[in-house]
Amino acid sequence: MKSLLATLALTTALTLPGIAMARPVTLTTMLNNYGGDGAYLALYVTDASGAYAGSLWMAGSKSKYYKHLTDWDRATSGNTAEIDGITGASVGSGRTLEVTIDLSDALFDAGYTLHIDAAVEDMRDSPNEVSVPLTTDGAGTPVTGRRYVSDFTYDM
Amino acid sequence: MKKTLTLLAATAALTAAVAAPVWSAMRTGNSPVRPFAAILEFGQDAMPLFLASGDDDDDHAYRSGSRHDDDDRGCEYGSDESHDDDDCGGSAGKAAPDGTTPPPQNGLFGNGTPPVVEIN
Repeated sequence: MKSLLATLALTTALTLPGIAMARPVTLTTMLNNYGGDGAYLALYVTDASGAYAGSLWMAGSKSKYYKHLTDWDRATSGNTAEIDGITGASVGSGRTLEVTIDLSDALFDAGYTLHIDAAVEDMRDSPNEVSVPLTTDGAGTPVTGRRYVSDFTYDM
Repeated sequence: MKKTLTLLAATAALTAAVAAPVWSAMRTGNSPVRPFAAILEFGQDAMPLFLASGDDDDDHAYRSGSRHDDDDRGCEYGSDESHDDDDCGGSAGKAAPDGTTPPPQNGLFGNGTPPVVEIN
């Protein structure tokens, strides 16, 4: 019985870290009533040195407009492979985009920063609309955007 | 003893089953080691398409003005903006929509689960 418990404890200890390496994180982006057409939004992450680490979500499916998401476009050279499987519809004025993703634990408290670039037809492009460090303490705290984003929150 | 060994084998198998995809998802695209997930991805093209949201604002986005939302119109009339229109002539250069392929293996996504999206 004792050996059985020891075995169970050992295997649980081995299994749990694997499960705990990712957690569901909800990214909530609320847009202002800016009165224009649907906004294209690029959500992406840079590492501690400011280098592009990867994309989390692209709102807006027409790649010809991605050049207006200027920082994202510069970082990725407009490579749509970066957003395969994580691309959806653009987001209308006054609406809220909620994306729930299983994010790697390694992204938190390690110097990574989440950025949002925004663009709207016939209106000014807004690179780095939101820039928020990914920390466990910062979860649930709204961050105000510069032009089109009313506020952005990530919840764990 | 036999029971313990059986239990050990079972839990080791379970650990491997959980750890392999997680380890794989943590690998970056630059890694020379081919991740398990890449092997397991064969045949995923046949996966069903999940519509995360029926509110596709693209129909309204970029509708008028100089950027010419309508791909066909832009290509057909050869407007200035259509010269760099990467959507002209087919779907080359377009990103795969959500749910049609797994998320990119960029090390950010913990286990390759597709995002769940809602627009309110």
